Amino acid sequence: MRTFAYARPAAVEEAAAALSQPAARAMGGGTDLLTQQDRGILPAESVVDLRGLGLDAIAPEREGIRIGATVRLADLGRNQAVRERFAVLHQAASAAASPQLREMGTVGGNLCQQVRCWYFRHPDLTCWLRGGDTCYAQVGDHRKHGLEPGDCISVAPSDLAAALLALDATVETSSRPQGIPLADLYRKASDENRSTLALAPGEFVTAVVVPRVPDASAYERAGERHAWSFALAGVAAARFGDQLRLAAIGVSNLPRLLDPADPLAGLPGLEQTAWKRRLLSGLAGQALSRVSG
Amino acid sequence: MARLIKTEAVVEGRTEVRWTLVEEDSTPEWPADQPPGVVGEPTTRLTAGARLSGSARYTSDMQLPRQLEATVLRSPHANARLTSISLDAARAVPGVRAVIGPGDCPPFDGETVLHSEPPYGGAAVAAIAAETREAADEAMAALDPQWEPLGFVVDLDQSLENQTFQDDPVEYERGDAEAALAAAELTVTSDYLAPAQLHNSMEPHCAVADWRPDGLTLWSSTQGIYQARSQLCGSFGLDQEHVRVICHFMGGGFGSKFGCGPEGVIAAELSRRASRPVRLVLSRRDENLSTGYRTPARFSFTIGAGRDGRLRAVEASAVMGLGTGGWAYPVLEPVKSLYACEHQHLMTLPMRLNLGPAAAFRAPGVMEGTWAFEQALDELAEAAGLDPLELRRRNHTDVDPSTGRPYTSKRLLESYDLAAELAGWDTRDELRSDGRVRRGMGCASQYWWGGGGPPAYADVRIGSDAKPVLTVGMQDLGTGVTTACAVVLAERLGIPPDQVKVRTGDTDLAGHGPFSGGSMTLASVAPAVRSAGHHVRTQLLELAADMFEIAASDLELTEGEVRSTDGTLRRPIHDVTEKLGNAWVTGSGSRAPNPDGMAVNTFGCQIAQVAVDTLTGLITVERVVAVHDIGRVINPMGARSQVLGGILQGIGFALSEERVVDPTTGTVVNAGLEDYKIPTLADLPEVECRFVGEPDPELALGIKGLGEPPIIPTPGAIGNAVAHALGLRLREAPYTPRRVLEALQ
Amino acid sequence: MQVELEVNGNRYRVDAPAAEPLSAVLRDRLQLTGTKVACGEGTCGSCTVLVDDRPVLSCLTLAAACDGAAVRTIEAEGDLLDRLRRAFTEEDGFQCGFCTPGQLMSALALLERTPHPSADEIVTAMSGNLCRCGAYEGIALAVARAAEDVRA
Repeated sequence: MRTFAYARPAAVEEAAAALSQPAARAMGGGTDLLTQQDRGILPAESVVDLRGLGLDAIAPEREGIRIGATVRLADLGRNQAVRERFAVLHQAASAAASPQLREMGTVGGNLCQQVRCWYFRHPDLTCWLRGGDTCYAQVGDHRKHGLEPGDCISVAPSDLAAALLALDATVETSSRPQGIPLADLYRKASDENRSTLALAPGEFVTAVVVPRVPDASAYERAGERHAWSFALAGVAAARFGDQLRLAAIGVSNLPRLLDPADPLAGLPGLEQTAWKRRLLSGLAGQALSRVSG
Repeated sequence: MARLIKTEAVVEGRTEVRWTLVEEDSTPEWPADQPPGVVGEPTTRLTAGARLSGSARYTSDMQLPRQLEATVLRSPHANARLTSISLDAARAVPGVRAVIGPGDCPPFDGETVLHSEPPYGGAAVAAIAAETREAADEAMAALDPQWEPLGFVVDLDQSLENQTFQDDPVEYERGDAEAALAAAELTVTSDYLAPAQLHNSMEPHCAVADWRPDGLTLWSSTQGIYQARSQLCGSFGLDQEHVRVICHFMGGGFGSKFGCGPEGVIAAELSRRASRPVRLVLSRRDENLSTGYRTPARFSFTIGAGRDGRLRAVEASAVMGLGTGGWAYPVLEPVKSLYACEHQHLMTLPMRLNLGPAAAFRAPGVMEGTWAFEQALDELAEAAGLDPLELRRRNHTDVDPSTGRPYTSKRLLESYDLAAELAGWDTRDELRSDGRVRRGMGCASQYWWGGGGPPAYADVRIGSDAKPVLTVGMQDLGTGVTTACAVVLAERLGIPPDQVKVRTGDTDLAGHGPFSGGSMTLASVAPAVRSAGHHVRTQLLELAADMFEIAASDLELTEGEVRSTDGTLRRPIHDVTEKLGNAWVTGSGSRAPNPDGMAVNTFGCQIAQVAVDTLTGLITVERVVAVHDIGRVINPMGARSQVLGGILQGIGFALSEERVVDPTTGTVVNAGLEDYKIPTLADLPEVECRFVGEPDPELALGIKGLGEPPIIPTPGAIGNAVAHALGLRLREAPYTPRRVLEALQ
Repeated sequence: MQVELEVNGNRYRVDAPAAEPLSAVLRDRLQLTGTKVACGEGTCGSCTVLVDDRPVLSCLTLAAACDGAAVRTIEAEGDLLDRLRRAFTEEDGFQCGFCTPGQLMSALALLERTPHPSADEIVTAMSGNLCRCGAYEGIALAVARAAEDVRA
């Protein structure tokens, strides 16, 4: 059931103030937020639309590129500079979700989306990540879940996060305009705080900055059909000189930096997910071979 | 002259004997040597204009004056007792016009509609009609239901242990299977597990009810308007004359929408109480929890054969998960009827589980049974060292093996030959490799009914504008039957099909007709249409004979003209009809029975070529060759589309579709289209489609049905192709990346 | 809240709850029932409409967020849309027709942006529109055919 107020502020400060109110939720494309509302997940009293803030530009910055938080995935995927210089980002943006969801979804929203776990999203269950007591997946059906034990075994869904992690990107927020490493945008949910985002109340992503152009980069993902499937696993690789950066989604709670020499390290697999180790290993090998010099 | 006759009909494997009203029919059959005009020519759909402009009015689009919106409270528990509910609090919400709970709603087809002990997650408990969706939602929150959760069973093994059956077990025996198995030179044993496949018609189940003092009108997204009418009469104690069911445009059904559904009864009851029209549209989630699915089934086969591959005996069992409804769909029918095999012992166990009721889904039972048995046969072929197609040829039967009856026609051997040639079957081993992507090719046979039969009626009228109006007692799910009927009529009247206006989907328009299921619709109604058209043709020619003073027997209707056979007269048909003024020429037709003592079946063969990506586990169906024997093809364009649709749903079953039930809570975790994955355009294979059948000599117009056949062999052919590619067999469908990668470990 | 919309060239002012999706405004308030809602949760593409030329899912688009936007639906007029309608007819690119309005709007958006799409571009652009009848071959051929007609 959706009942909330809607605001579309025109300035970052105004948006931050509106988002500091209780049960205020930030909206980019709204594709994740509204489906959450329909299922009673983190009910909003007010929705703050960030698309009026002018954060929708893609522009060169120093040696790299700056991408506004409300740039649509489709526009990112179509951007010529991104396609030519940041292949991994182009490929991740073009592979995510469905064509319409890419036209609607924003870069910031994609990075901040909730997990796709079918228990978390279930309208009749309140799982641990939603504030309940039980991680239903651990005792139930976790065939598509992660490779890492924990309080919650759902997996990070954002294709862009893998690509940007491999590119060593920085995230700028409304209260931290100087930027933080992308990895610091995320946190492990804890008993006290079930959020997987390390954002303060009212804080939201304003831009992503990729500091430099890799010599080569590539994204490899596997889905459940040939199009329109959240990734079972996705691996992004980028090579800067002789430095390799490898990152994955779909295998653990948070976007994860992998050791190129041992991508499976720390990912033992769970009872029903051992198959994903084979998948991750294959995707990592493929991504690495595509960026090798 | 009308008469009542007793006739036998086979509907999705169930034989029914019924009384039927038929008219004497003197319409001549089409001559065998002459193509009957537009019949057999590709014809675009008559519904294109409406469906492509947004003007087609589906049930969920209905907006009657003062119409209310309905919502339904459903149980969140796999099994529970409702201990309290605040119906009055919901009634007090502004804008709410009717609230009903358990005990307030009449049953649907004898089954409880609103449950006080909801036996599955998603079972309906209460319903609300309100001025707006917001008011209905607010009232829903006010209901504040309290539940006492009860124990539940969602596991096949556990229900088997408890011996809780939803329908009677079905045992079938012929010969002495035990002795024949003991004596067989070759024995193959195998198990297969088929998933629950959810229909997911794009239009959800929905109904708009308008209850008035003079009767009930129900707009329903239904495959059976007359069935819906009978059910509503039964639920509310109304006469047929006081119930009208309308379904002009329908967004798919695939077997899940027979009759008016519980949603029709709920909408009608709310409308009765509120004295206002009520619209009830199910959410996608409710759709997938409560409106049916293809039954999950576990198959076990023991097959005995000679060293030559000839079948001697089969022992088979199928344990089906019916949930809380449905019947023992004929899952072992392919074993019983597809090949010659003297000794059989088959057992079907339809189990009850705390899940929504099962429903027929395009070739119910037979598709999943074919998927399993055709793979078991490939295992036998391997054991016998035989080519899989050769094994099937050797076991061919010329009579129905369970009854000994001859077939009205059977072109299965031709189907094998043509499919093999088109697919490059003989060189299929050259596809195989050890690389990342492994290719393979597999085949499967198809068996189904689909002869159609009475009752079916049609009326045709033509007025001064020379544009005939055809009224048929049926509904069009989107299969194209409307267009096919227009083609059949157009041939009799010598006009283009697009000049025909077809009126269907309204119980007040026509007397009676078949529901859309069992691949029966066209084969049932087309002869009635042709007969009605022939009566009109005869009258028009007599009118023309009077006008032009040429004997009617020397005139014909063709290309929109009345022509004399000697070529001296060519006048537009309009020249004759314009003399009618405001009068009509009318004709009626009905469907005569099929011949007694014969088996009416469709047959076919599909060959699939797959590519398995051993890195991602994703399977690509690259090509499907589909050869089917369906008798005369009325509209090859529509027929090809039916075949493509069946193949795509078969691909979904084989590769990605599977309802997942959480074992600890008993709740369905993928009741939406994000996690329940049906094929997209990107999953479409190249399809080579052929029809081998000539017109069936024993059936009216030579027609057999095509709705079900194309889905039947697809998953089995894919399963066999995957086994060919990988050199190992996946025993559980769908073949998802997880199952492929697990098998490769 | 009050929202001003231009739909198929006509201007409307509607007063709807802030949380109401565009699909409900189109279907229930403006009686434009050609736009279909099949899943209501952004998974099927049936409700696809164009908002400022982008193909979006109207079930997951807040009408409030479309203030001042130009919306096009299946009821729109236009040469390209008519070409698509003809091509869908001739290639039998639909059966039950329930997903078809969304298919046509996705196709329209594709051809407006990419008048001569490759086969791969057609598959990619149309892969968010599910069709349970399985009319995909006709859909792909129809989009290609309409593009050919543009070329001609």
